[in-house]
Amino acid sequence: MTVVIGFEGSANKIGIGIIKDGEVLSNPRRTYITPPGQGFMPSDTARHHRAVILTVLKEALEQAGLKPADIDCVAYTKGPGMGAPLVTVALVARTVAQLWGKPLLGVNHCIGHIEMGRLITQANNPIVLYVSGGNTQVIAYSERRYRIFGETIDIAVGNCLDRFARVIKISNDPSPGYNIEQMAKKGSQYVELPYAVKGMDVSFSGILSYIEDASHKMLSSGQCAAEDLCFSLQETVFSMLVEITERAMAHCGSQEVLIVGGVGCNMRLQEMMGVMCKERGAKLFATDEQFCIDNGAMIAQAGWEMFRSGQVTELEDSWITQRYRTDEVEVTWRD
Amino acid sequence: MAATDGERNHQTGKLEFSLDVPFPSSLEASIALRSLSPDREPRKGGISKHLAVTGSTLSVKWSADEARVLRVSVNSFLDHLTLVMETMQMFGPPVTQ
Repeated sequence: MTVVIGFEGSANKIGIGIIKDGEVLSNPRRTYITPPGQGFMPSDTARHHRAVILTVLKEALEQAGLKPADIDCVAYTKGPGMGAPLVTVALVARTVAQLWGKPLLGVNHCIGHIEMGRLITQANNPIVLYVSGGNTQVIAYSERRYRIFGETIDIAVGNCLDRFARVIKISNDPSPGYNIEQMAKKGSQYVELPYAVKGMDVSFSGILSYIEDASHKMLSSGQCAAEDLCFSLQETVFSMLVEITERAMAHCGSQEVLIVGGVGCNMRLQEMMGVMCKERGAKLFATDEQFCIDNGAMIAQAGWEMFRSGQVTELEDSWITQRYRTDEVEVTWRD
Repeated sequence: MAATDGERNHQTGKLEFSLDVPFPSSLEASIALRSLSPDREPRKGGISKHLAVTGSTLSVKWSADEARVLRVSVNSFLDHLTLVMETMQMFGPPVTQ
């Protein structure tokens, strides 16, 4: 029996989860929500995390009904993400690991999403579409690496959605993407936007500039409603993601798709991916907001796999890193 | 907690700042040192920071080219130190192996 506690705080969510051999014992989380029109800045986000992290840790232990002595390993997000929030979380993880006399383990955030998705859905060897506010990647496992088949060449798809939400001043509560999804359901008119797939890669910054410009002109002149723009943006960017995912499946001969990351809980994206999978006779795996959105259990789960395969991180090597590619990690826990 | 403010060292021409933090024991001082040491200063050059433990005191020394850079580094260190000390208060004392 192996119990791992995972600390996550690479963006505006702070979460601590405990995993015991594939079972989620607790997974409390807090989100730093900024006013409409504003994004989250690194130093403010770190301040938020510092203010709540010890309360969240207490909750995680209490909900799991565990004492520190019951834990075998302390996992935390090493990167990628925003520097100041990452440091905040790493500091607490390092301190409790030493106080409790437990080994420490630095986890790649993207690997956390993949391993949590695999655990929850039981997908065996899927093509992974990892879509969030900071990352957009199509990933396939091969020879001890999660290899990136396609990715964004500029901003993440979630960043494109978040920043559009700021332009039209949509609430960031519970998340800008969720509110865009609700508004998109009421959209009826498709406004044509640039479609930017380049080989296996995608680009969103041009689409964002275009829709920013279009929204100022079209909304003031009454040519369309904000709901139409939400609908059009979702249809366009999700089509791009489905296209590159399908191409990766064809290339690898894979019959499984797993969607992870915060944007992955968007039902319209899941629906569009589902149509493509059905046409190919493939299976779609996705999770809900509990596990799609950043959380502590995903770091605990990846940490569990790494720890069981013999990995630990020495304190002097436990520095955080804002850049940390998915394919930098050697996957020692899979064949 | 004792600090000496940013005095300019006349030999090196750099601003220097030092801080002493007392802990209940040398073990706790060492834990704080190991929690606070791994991350490098975000900016390259212009500032250096050195941490050491003597007895149950954690000592930190800064050396910087500009007061502005020194302030940012000291401020962020104090935020980090506060969090580590709060963590120790809530989840300590350390188990002895």
